[in-house]
Amino acid sequence: MPTETLKSLGDIAATNSWGAIYPELILGCLALALLALEVILPKFAHGAIPRISILGQVLLLGYIIIFDPAGCCNGIAFGGMIELSGTSQALRIFFLLASIFVSYLAMVSFENKTLARVEYFAITLVVTGALSIMAMSNHFVMLFVALETATVGFYILVSYFRQNTLSLEAGLKYLIMGALSSAILLFGIVLLYGAASNPAMAGSSLDSMNFQNLRVFLEANPTDTLSILGMLLVISGVAFKIGAFPFQIWIPDVYQGAPVSTTAFLAVSSKAAGFAVLLTLTKVFSPLSDWLLPLLSGIAALTILFGNFAALTQRNLKRMIGLSGVSHAGFLLVGVVAVQTVPEATNWVLFYLFAYLLGSMAVFCVLAHLPKEWDADLSLDDLGDLAKKNGFLGIALAIGIGSLAGIPPLAGFIGKFLIFVAAFKAELYVLLGVGIVGVVISIYYYFGVIKAAFFEVWSFTDEDEKSDAPAVLPGQSLTALGRLAIVFAVGGSIVLGFFQGPLGSWLSGQ
Amino acid sequence: MTDLFFYIFAAITLACAFAVVFSRNPVNAAMFLILTFLGMASLFVMLEAYFLAVIQVLVYAGAVVVLFLFIIMLLDVKEESKAKLKPLTLVASVIGFAILLVGVVGITSSDNIKATTETLPEAAGATLKNFGYELFTTYQLPMQVTGFLLLVAMIGVIVLSKRVKTD
Repeated sequence: MPTETLKSLGDIAATNSWGAIYPELILGCLALALLALEVILPKFAHGAIPRISILGQVLLLGYIIIFDPAGCCNGIAFGGMIELSGTSQALRIFFLLASIFVSYLAMVSFENKTLARVEYFAITLVVTGALSIMAMSNHFVMLFVALETATVGFYILVSYFRQNTLSLEAGLKYLIMGALSSAILLFGIVLLYGAASNPAMAGSSLDSMNFQNLRVFLEANPTDTLSILGMLLVISGVAFKIGAFPFQIWIPDVYQGAPVSTTAFLAVSSKAAGFAVLLTLTKVFSPLSDWLLPLLSGIAALTILFGNFAALTQRNLKRMIGLSGVSHAGFLLVGVVAVQTVPEATNWVLFYLFAYLLGSMAVFCVLAHLPKEWDADLSLDDLGDLAKKNGFLGIALAIGIGSLAGIPPLAGFIGKFLIFVAAFKAELYVLLGVGIVGVVISIYYYFGVIKAAFFEVWSFTDEDEKSDAPAVLPGQSLTALGRLAIVFAVGGSIVLGFFQGPLGSWLSGQ
Repeated sequence: MTDLFFYIFAAITLACAFAVVFSRNPVNAAMFLILTFLGMASLFVMLEAYFLAVIQVLVYAGAVVVLFLFIIMLLDVKEESKAKLKPLTLVASVIGFAILLVGVVGITSSDNIKATTETLPEAAGATLKNFGYELFTTYQLPMQVTGFLLLVAMIGVIVLSKRVKTD
């Protein structure tokens, strides 16, 4: 190998600044430490491992928020593999926050079950790190490796309740759909690589999987058939991950069968990572916007309508939340389309994601505390009289659902409002109309949940069955940590509704 | 001469790929899959991508197909009976094939592809040494993440298959 090449490779190696990704490194080390602790600690102390995991993440999150809120080393690192920015820093905090909630949910829902436990928390940490790297990736190789790490982790987390057939079924379905979507994504990447590496074309480069190089190529050839095909396939692959129409078919079954903690993880973190990738990729593909924007707009409108109409008839709680998550993906897609003409809307998409995180986690925390052996079977009937039996959980559920539905003055309302403002500024009037229709439809099924929780269930067979076994009241497993988690999610939803100041200025200051 | 070899190996690869799809006996299909991979490897050799060719033989023809054979053996798959094609499946596959045909013809007949044949780039990462240099400098981070991927997969296999002690 000639010396110049060696020297340039040495220069690249010098940009491998590991310090820039310290949160992900710490997450990885924490995951390894948890596995080691399971071996070292005596059996009776194993219950402490989930708490150690949560404590470690809270400390890391605290450190980042207090000492490093804007990101220490923004810019391109690792020879163009990743690009750190304010957006990626915000998402890093997002994933960490979500991961703390997921760890807590897992702790609650694994009680009284014979399962391997520690591994769940270790995999959660690795997946969180991978999602965070995915959000900052600047190269298709990095993107794909991080995506696969997260997806392989999710295959396991989805089928974790392996005594339950629904969980296994969900795992199998997710495996097949995930592999299919990875294949589509990879094929798109290969087409783009092939097109942009062709030395006969203007703007080609040898490292055309790098996003900057790819963008240069696309600017020089905005009508190249191969690149358009590649773009189409890559967007389809990402649409699978965020559950956008027409790639949403896996959502209800997988969300229902997976343990409630995994459902929350998929609904919040996995979806947010998909949108992070979409925000990066739409910048790369912007020279192809003649194709990209109609495609994304169409997907957004259909996703909103499909998600809301499909959720109308659901009685299973997790299926309903999954399908409502599809419609949230639609609203976020409207935001992504608006970002193309109104750049500051990026922060509004991030705000929507944070509001969605808090609202969803409040709801999932309540679901985890309902008495039911397998949470896949939770239906609206199980909410009966929740408010009377446990007022705390009832109010938390009402506020979480209200925030998801976008009821003022909660955070979800501000999120939707900002998305609509962005759509209005970008002159996307049709999408705006579809969005408003979607919100109106969604009120019906969201209030169905609140109605089930606050009003008495009237049934014939109640008296005879109750006498046999004393009913387990909801929320008996609620600990101080659980109350804190729920208060944080609910409080965040309320405070962000009235007062967007700190989060808003931090997001827009990025 | 090179052209002749290309056509020979391409024909072998294609014929074996068809045989994979059409053979009723799963063991025969797996064997034809090995031949397909070998044909692909020889095409890589002709592109002077020797490392890729070796990997193709070692990983795909070796490890992956052996795994397939193990699964066929464990599941004791019988010879497949002739399945009746539903009319809808037939229509869908014909449409799919037509789209594929249009795509392939459209892409190969475009001018950009014709322009490439004269100016092929050097196969930069094609030798083992270059590959190693790239892996430990440029692609260092993805490689480390891949390590975690394998770790997660390993843990997952244990978690999902190990017998849980009921105590």
